[in-house]
Amino acid sequence: MAQKSDLLQGTLDLLILKTLALGPQHGWGISQRIQQISEDVLRVNQGSLYPALHRLEDKGWVASDWGVSDNNREAKFYRLTRAGQRQLQLETENWERVSAAVARILQAVS
Amino acid sequence: MSRFLRRLRLLVGRGRFEADVKKELEFHVAMETEQRQRSGQPADDARRTALRDFGGVSRIREEVRDARGLAFWDAVVQDLRYGLRTLAGAPGYTAAAVAILALSIGANTAMFSVLNGVLFAPLPFRDGQDLVLVQQSAPQSNRANAGVSIQELQDYRRRLTTVEDLVEYHQMSFTLLNEGEPDRVDTGVVSANFFDMLGIRPELGRSFADRDDDIGAEAVLILSHAYWLEKFGGDPKVIGRVLEMNNRAHTVIGVLPDYPEYPRANDVYMPTSACPFRASAETNPRQGHRSFAGLRVFGRLAPGATPQAASAEIAGVARRFEQDDPQDYDRWNARGLTGEALPLGEQLVSNARRALYVLAGVTLLVLVIACANVANLALARTMRRGRELAVRTALGASRGRLLRQLLTESLLLSLVGGALGIAIASLSLDLLVAFVGRFTPRTGQIAIDGRVLGFALVVSVVTGIVFGIAPALAARRNLSSGMRDGGTQAGESAGRHRVRAALVVAQVAVSFALVVGAALLLESFYRLATTPLGFETEHVMSAAIFGNFTSQATMADSARFEADVLRNLRTSPGIRAAALTGAVPQSAISPDGTTVWLEGAASDGPRQVVVDQNYASDQYFDTLGVPILAGRDFQATDTMEAPAVAIINQSMAKLWNGVDPVGRRFTAQLMGGAEATFTVVGIAADYRLYGVEQENPAQYYRATSQAPGSGSRLLVRTDGEPAGAVPAIKAAVHAADPDTPVEDIATIAQIRNTTQLAAPGLTAALLGLFALVALTITLTGIAGVISTSVSQRTREFGLRMALGASRWSVLRQVVGQGVVLTIVGIVLGLAGASFFSRLLSSFLFETPATDLSAHLGVALIFLAAALLAAAGPARRATSIDPLRALRSE
Repeated sequence: MAQKSDLLQGTLDLLILKTLALGPQHGWGISQRIQQISEDVLRVNQGSLYPALHRLEDKGWVASDWGVSDNNREAKFYRLTRAGQRQLQLETENWERVSAAVARILQAVS
Repeated sequence: MSRFLRRLRLLVGRGRFEADVKKELEFHVAMETEQRQRSGQPADDARRTALRDFGGVSRIREEVRDARGLAFWDAVVQDLRYGLRTLAGAPGYTAAAVAILALSIGANTAMFSVLNGVLFAPLPFRDGQDLVLVQQSAPQSNRANAGVSIQELQDYRRRLTTVEDLVEYHQMSFTLLNEGEPDRVDTGVVSANFFDMLGIRPELGRSFADRDDDIGAEAVLILSHAYWLEKFGGDPKVIGRVLEMNNRAHTVIGVLPDYPEYPRANDVYMPTSACPFRASAETNPRQGHRSFAGLRVFGRLAPGATPQAASAEIAGVARRFEQDDPQDYDRWNARGLTGEALPLGEQLVSNARRALYVLAGVTLLVLVIACANVANLALARTMRRGRELAVRTALGASRGRLLRQLLTESLLLSLVGGALGIAIASLSLDLLVAFVGRFTPRTGQIAIDGRVLGFALVVSVVTGIVFGIAPALAARRNLSSGMRDGGTQAGESAGRHRVRAALVVAQVAVSFALVVGAALLLESFYRLATTPLGFETEHVMSAAIFGNFTSQATMADSARFEADVLRNLRTSPGIRAAALTGAVPQSAISPDGTTVWLEGAASDGPRQVVVDQNYASDQYFDTLGVPILAGRDFQATDTMEAPAVAIINQSMAKLWNGVDPVGRRFTAQLMGGAEATFTVVGIAADYRLYGVEQENPAQYYRATSQAPGSGSRLLVRTDGEPAGAVPAIKAAVHAADPDTPVEDIATIAQIRNTTQLAAPGLTAALLGLFALVALTITLTGIAGVISTSVSQRTREFGLRMALGASRWSVLRQVVGQGVVLTIVGIVLGLAGASFFSRLLSSFLFETPATDLSAHLGVALIFLAAALLAAAGPARRATSIDPLRALRSE
C-alpha cells in the first residue's frame, strides 16, 4: 500500500468502515485491528489513514468523539454513522462482485 | 447535518480543529512508541522509528485539511490578504474605484428600497392583494370618477357576488370641541366593519360595531394614533371621554394603532350614522338614487374572483342603475354610468409607477457606466502590474489562481463600495421618501430592510465580477510576454487599448443618452414654471374658512358671515383687495363638467354646451389681477333675492359665436338636479385657474353672494409681503365668527409650488443629478484612457519631437484621440437618447422628445468636457523632453 490509487483508496475506506462496524475505535486501534484480522497481510500506511478518516468524516459516513483510551490517554474515537452503515453495505456488495469477477477471470485463464 | 454545514463549523472553529488533528496524530505516535517499547526497543529509539514510519506529520496534516475541503478556503483567505495589501498599496486607484462604486451601488440600493416599499411590498392589510376599490365613472358626462351613492352601495352589497365585505369611506372636516377649545379635524366617515375588513385592531378600546351604524345610534369616535398622541398626550383614560362635534356629544370608544392610514390619514373616524350630511341624505328618500354620491367604496375579492370578473359584474350592475332611472342619472350628471374593480395596491401607486421605473432604469444605467469605468481603471492597473503577474506565474501560480486573485481584488472593491453605498442609500432615504410622497401615499414601507441589503449584496457581487472579468481575461492573454519586457510596452497592449477605448465609448454613449433625457426634463420644467398664468400669484394670500355649522345654521347666517369677512378685510391696512371663492387657483383641483344651454347663441334655440362652473365674490378678478374685458364685476346688489348673475370667461364668450353675450342668459343643470338661469353681466380674461398642462376651459362664475356657503376660500391681495397680512386675515375672520378656524394659509405661488411644480421639479432634479454623476464618471474615464496612452507613448512622442514634429501636432493628436472617442460615443448615444426620450415623453411639457437644441447642446457639453479631460494629459505629452524620453527605457 505504498502508493495511493483509487482502488486502494477505496479499499482502505472499505476496511475502515468494516473495522468500525465492530465498534468505535481510534485511528491507531483501527490500523492495529486491520493488521491483526488480516494476519499481518495488510498493513495500513499510516500516512494515508488519517486523511482517509477525515475524508470519511467529511462525507458523513463516520463521526468522532474524544474519549479515553485503554491506557488512559485522551484519544479521538471514530464510529460508524447510519449513512456509513449503508455505505459499508454498498461497498461490500461492490467488492464481492468485483472480486468474484476477478476470480472467474483468473480461473478461466488458468 | 449537511456537508456544507460540517465544513462551515470547522472553518469557524478553525483553531480548535487544527489542535485536535495535532493531538490525534500525537496520540498515534505515542501508542506506536509504546508498542515498540513493549517489544523491546529502547525508549528514544522507539519514538524515533515510530515517527519515521509514520511519515511527515505536516504533510499528513495538509492532506487532512484537503480531505476536509479547507484548502479552498485557505486560498481564499490568502487571496483576501494579498488583495487587501495590494489595494492598500494603490490608494489612488482604490479610492477612485470605491467612490464610483459606492455612488452607483448606493443610488441603485436607494432606488430598490423605494421600488421594494412602494411597488413590491404587499399592502399592510389583511390579504391586501385582494382589496379592490369600486370605482364608478360616467364617460358621457365626462367624469372619470363619479363616486358611489348610498343607494348604489346598498345595491352593490345585495347584488355583487365577486366582491365581498363592501365598506364605504368619505372624508369630512368638522369642528371638534374639546373642553371648549375648537379644533378642525379631518374626519373619516366609515362603515362599521371598515377596520375589521382591513384587519386593523384598535390599540385601545374597541372598533365600531354594527349597532354604531344604526340611524339614531349614540355618536361614537375612534381617534387616530397621531391625533391621540398630539391632543391627548397618549392618555389611556381617553376612552369614554365625551367630545362635542356638530352640536352632538360624541364618545371616544377606541384609539387606532400606528399604521399607514388609507385612503388617507385622518384625525378621527366616525361611523356613517354620525355624519350629519350622510345621515340626512339617507333618511330623505326624495333625493333619489344618486343622493350623496361622494362615497369611496372598497371591498374584498370573493375567493377565486379576479379583478376582471369583478369589473364586469360591477359594470353590469352600474348600467342597470341608469336603465332603471335614466332621468335621475341625467339630472346628476352621471350619464353612461359604468364601474370597475381596481386592485387597491395598483391604484395607490399608479401615479408613481412610471416615474419610479424610469428612475430605476436610470440608476441602473449609471451602474453600467460605473462598471465600464472601473473596468477601465482595473485594466490600466493590470497593465502596470504585468511584470508582477508574470513573476508570480513563473514562480508557479496557475492561471486559474491568478484569475481568482484578480477577481478577489475586484470583489473586495465592489463589496467595500457596496457597504458605503448602503450608507449613502440610508442617508438619502428621507429625501427619496419625500420625493415619492408626491406621487403615492405608499411611502410607509420604504426602508433599508433585509431584502434591500440582499439586493445591495447581489448587485455588489455581480458588479465586482463584471468589472473584474475584463482585466482578468486581459491578464491571462498576456502573461507570457509580460516577463520579457515588463508589460509596459505599447505594442502588445494595442489590443487592450482597443478594449479600453470601447469601454470609454460605451460610457460616453450611455451617459449622453442620460444627459439628453435630463436636459429635456429640465427644459420642460423651465417651460412649466415660466409659462404665464395670466394672473398674480406672488402677492395673493389664500386661506380656507369653513363656516361653523353651529353659528351658521342658515343660508342667511352664511351670507352675513361672508359679507362680514369681506368688509372686515377690506378695511384692514395693507390689503388692496379681498375676495371669496370656492377653490384656490392652481390647487389640486380639476374642472367640473356642467351642462348649460346658451340663449341667443344659435338661431334654432338654446345651444347646449358643457362648461366649468366656479364661484367668485366681487373683487375676485381684481384680487387676481385678471381684467374684466366687458360688462361689470359682481356687486353688492347681487343678493339672493336679486336675479341670478354670472361672469363668463373669454373662452365661454366665444361659444356665443360672435354675439355679444353680456346681457344674454343661459340655463345650467346644477348638481342635485335643479336648474338655474343666469344673466351674463361680465366677461373676464382667460387665465390658468388649473395647472398649466390643462387647456383653459370655458368657464362661468356664480356670485358667492347668491350661493352662501360656497365661498369657503379666501383670497387677499396685499401691498407688501403677503405673510404680513396673516394676522389681519385671522382677525377679520374671527371678528365675523370666533368659532371659524382659518386654515391652509399660503400664497398661490406656494400652492402652485407644492401642487404643480414640486413633482416635475424633483424628478428633473433627481434625473439631472444622476446624469451629472454619469457625466463626471465618463469624463474621468476619458481622461484616464488618454493619460495612459500618453504615458505608453512617451518614447514615441519624444522620438517624433526629436525628429522635428511640432508640439502642436503632438497636442493635436492627443486631444484628437479624446475628441474621436467622444464623437463615436455621441453618435452611438443618439440611438439610446431617442429611445430614452421617448420613454420620458409623458413627463415632458411643451418639449418635444426630439428637441434639437437639447441634443445639440448636450453634444457640445460633451465635446467641451472631453477637451477639458484631454487637456491635462496633452500638456504632459507636449512637455516631454525628447532626450529624457529616449533614454527612459
